[in-house]
Amino acid sequence: MELGAPLDRVEGWDKVAGRARYSGEQRVAGVCHAVAVQAEIAHGEVLAVDATAARAVPGVIDVLAYGDAPALADTSDFELAVLQSPRVAYRGQIVAAVVAETLEIARHAQRLVRVTYDELGHDVELTPDHPGLYRPEKISPDDPPDTGEGEETPAEVSVDVTYETPAFHNNPMEPHATLAVWEGDHLTLYDSTQGAAAQRDALAALLGMPAERVRVVAHHVGGGFGSKGVPPRPNSVLAALCARRVGRPVKLAVTRQQMFSITGYRTPTFQRMRIGASKDGRIADIEHHVIEQTSTAREFAEQSGVVTRMMYAARARRTTHRLARLDVPVNSWMRAPGECPGMYALESAMDELAEACGIDPVELRIRNEPERDPDSGNPFSSRRLVECLRLGAERFGWSSRPEPGTRREGRHLVGMGVAAATYPAAARPAQALARVADDGSFTVSIAAADIGTGARTALTQIAADALGVPVARVRVEIGDSALPYGPLAGGSMGNASWGWAVLRACEGLRDGIARYGGAEPGLECRADTSGEIKNQEAYARHSFGAQFAEVRVDVDSGEIRVPRMLGVFAAGRVMNARLARSQFVGGMVMGLGMALTEESRMDREFGDYLNHDLAQYHVPVNADVLGIDAIWLDDPDPHANPLGGKGIGEIGIVGAAAAIGNAVHNATGHRFRRLPISPPSVIPHLP
Amino acid sequence: MEFLRPTSWGEALAAKADAPGAVPIAGGTDVMVELNFDKHRPEALLDLNRVGELATWSEEEDGRLRVGAAVPYARIIGELGGRLPGLAMAARTVGSPQIRNRGTVGGNLGAASPAGDSHPPLLAADAEIEVESAARGTRMIPAGEFYTGVKRSALAPDELIRAFHVRPAEGPQQFSKIGTRNAMVIAVCSFGLALHPSDQRIGTGIGSAAPTPRRAFEAEEYAAGELDWAGRSPLDERVARRFGELAARAAAPIDDVRGTAEYRLHALSVMARRTLTWAWKDYLNGGATACA
Ligand SMILES: Cc1cc2nc3c(=O)[nH]c(=O)nc-3n(C[C@H](O)[C@H](O)[C@H](O)COP(=O)(O)OP(=O)(O)OC[C@H]3O[C@@H](n4cnc5c(N)ncnc54)[C@H](O)[C@@H]3O)c2cc1C
Repeated sequence: MELGAPLDRVEGWDKVAGRARYSGEQRVAGVCHAVAVQAEIAHGEVLAVDATAARAVPGVIDVLAYGDAPALADTSDFELAVLQSPRVAYRGQIVAAVVAETLEIARHAQRLVRVTYDELGHDVELTPDHPGLYRPEKISPDDPPDTGEGEETPAEVSVDVTYETPAFHNNPMEPHATLAVWEGDHLTLYDSTQGAAAQRDALAALLGMPAERVRVVAHHVGGGFGSKGVPPRPNSVLAALCARRVGRPVKLAVTRQQMFSITGYRTPTFQRMRIGASKDGRIADIEHHVIEQTSTAREFAEQSGVVTRMMYAARARRTTHRLARLDVPVNSWMRAPGECPGMYALESAMDELAEACGIDPVELRIRNEPERDPDSGNPFSSRRLVECLRLGAERFGWSSRPEPGTRREGRHLVGMGVAAATYPAAARPAQALARVADDGSFTVSIAAADIGTGARTALTQIAADALGVPVARVRVEIGDSALPYGPLAGGSMGNASWGWAVLRACEGLRDGIARYGGAEPGLECRADTSGEIKNQEAYARHSFGAQFAEVRVDVDSGEIRVPRMLGVFAAGRVMNARLARSQFVGGMVMGLGMALTEESRMDREFGDYLNHDLAQYHVPVNADVLGIDAIWLDDPDPHANPLGGKGIGEIGIVGAAAAIGNAVHNATGHRFRRLPISPPSVIPHLP
Repeated sequence: MEFLRPTSWGEALAAKADAPGAVPIAGGTDVMVELNFDKHRPEALLDLNRVGELATWSEEEDGRLRVGAAVPYARIIGELGGRLPGLAMAARTVGSPQIRNRGTVGGNLGAASPAGDSHPPLLAADAEIEVESAARGTRMIPAGEFYTGVKRSALAPDELIRAFHVRPAEGPQQFSKIGTRNAMVIAVCSFGLALHPSDQRIGTGIGSAAPTPRRAFEAEEYAAGELDWAGRSPLDERVARRFGELAARAAAPIDDVRGTAEYRLHALSVMARRTLTWAWKDYLNGGATACA
């Protein structure tokens, strides 16, 4: 099947038949089980760990705590310096671990470990005027926290509003799990990670070992949404320490509840948007001021304001990021870090501006198209936002959008909303090896990760296409740091990065076969894209999209349903239509959750997230997802990379919550500026 | 932990008498969650799945249905939906297909959560719970007396729930539930309603808005008196509204992660008003649901 075709996942049968082994399901002889003991205070010091009762339980092998845990070589990252100091930086931090013959024994003994603390009192609540707000040196991944250009001028129309988003947790289907196996001074880690090679390098540095002595295997990963990215999560480090200490393979499976404190989440935000425009909607000045939290354990500055640096034309532009350092779990990447919360604010404010100017929101965005990237000054490699907006408007029936608060159907108020979407399209250097196997088929190897996206399948298609053979004759090996280097699955750049290297390796092998005069087993070609990537031309590379939503608000109960959503994307060349659709739609569903149901509630008294399981943290269920559709433009971008793809993993969530929020405004006539928009918050504003 | 597997009702009662601390397990959809969270370590689990009669139902001489404690929701919907429409509506909102295949009304009663979805329809339909112990035999407990506190019931430590008894609907029944999403959700609050035309009465049940599921007596009496049972004239909008207000007044909600007390009161009044409106409309159209 050709590139782009909706091929089924190549490992689909293995997954439904249970043959695909995830990290926690790997079997090795002599395995034992570790369970983490977590801090019960949010800030302070561990005074003592009394493990007497735990050690007395038959089957308990060892208990590790600060003071007797194996030492790490690098303790500069407090979050990963597991059991290396008595300091407690957040509730739920790992302060000890029990290793036992069975999981049940370990869990039982874990409860018998008595930890005493010197408690210092905690500060866990982000407020817009938090006294500790500071400017970070840089924001993720490596950008200036503040930017400013142009002179502010008096505007005919202005919008000055603040939006608020709560903390969100990633909640991939598969909780993090690790199996650590030491053989002499070699460590093998079966780990649910988004990047085997990056995980290897990080673990090797922490343990003070050369990277060659560490191997990380992640054949199958059940989702990550950023929570299995780098730096590693402390559970992986703990598994390695426990296994070294007891001299046996150790399995450590994080529970769903533990994930709410040790595997990351998205920061809450306060985002002030100021836009000044002429009456005809042309933006003169635009400002985006972001307030977020970070943990005292490790700084993470989510780049929510970057979208305002590149999205629309303006004469003057200012963005700032301020953080409060709190005694909270470490926040980190969650699907489209930066763009996702940032575009919620920007695209909601654009809707407010459209209303203030009396201009259709689709038209307003079209009027503010920049000619070049306002941030870098470079030309866009391609930017087809206007086409996405126009096509979406036509398909969605946008022209029938009512005046705010005027369409009533039975007991529902009905409205429509739109928002733009964008996400950077980058690629990182990678290596791949293509070779002719003994039976004349082809094997392609790269330390890529398939975290449920279907990357293994897309890479198989890319390889088959480049080799000019059917996909059935190609086997792609991924998910192992021993394979040629591949960057992690993150930033929507996995497929672009790995695919590029796979393409070059397969092209090279095809040439080699032609020169040799046949597909001789053992022929191989290795490719490395670092040179090509370094020499890429200066373009601003981004995907774009337009999100449309229709909502129905129950006038009596305040319940909000979303009968229809449509996403139209220009995200480069699509390698597999089925997988792409599931990425786009999946992102949109996650945006639906962000808009209406998801929220991590901080328990002020105890200092941790209260609704820490799936019964209380409400991701959308099938019955909430009614008519979600995603379509895309045929959009190969020759300036992005040789495959023309731009990355599709994250853009689906970007703008989705804004489109829904804007639709709620259109339905009710009232603007809600805090997510999630819940029935209790809506009720007081209904007719 | 011991795992007891009686194969008959008599054996089950004897086992419970011997070990009052043994935790019965039917579908396990509450019990297994609690074990998994290590909330308690019961001395024993008493598996009721081999007591076949608990998963059966029958028609009794008094005209009522006697439904075994371990009949799962999926079968209540499929086999009894016509005769117990209120309970079936509630059952359809429980969890997911998997939970409806395993979960039972007996288990919902055993757990006695104020948010359990069976309770409002059982209250509204005047159900009685049949419980039994080896020592003292059978007791019939009206649903309204069964719930005694948050997750507490009138069940004695040596007793087991055998069945519930309820008259097939002789008039329209309704159930309404509000959650933060459309499925797999614990009720923010819920409301069950049954019309009893032969004695010109209304039954109600409030869920998740007080320490226990409870009836809204004042609302029931008010509406029963205002409704034109014989003349079958349409429902006066003001009566529906007042009914809603009185229903909300019967509640004593709290703020929690699922919702605020204020919202619960508002939502209850909306659900009560709506369910009465729908049920009365059905009644005017022939009161169709009577004895399917
Ligand atoms: C994912 C999920 C979703 C859920 N969604 C809902 C929902 O939407 N609405 C809702 O109401 N509930 C819901 N529940 C809770 C649960 O499914 C229900 O309470 C169900 O009715 C329990 O029935 P069971 O047979 O599984 O009970 P079990 O778990 O077997 O038992 C529950 C309790 O009853 C006791 N018990 C069981 N049988 C007897 C008996 N014969 N005599 C005495 N005591 C007994 C047990 O000891 C235990 O205390 C959900 C649970 C899960 C896991």
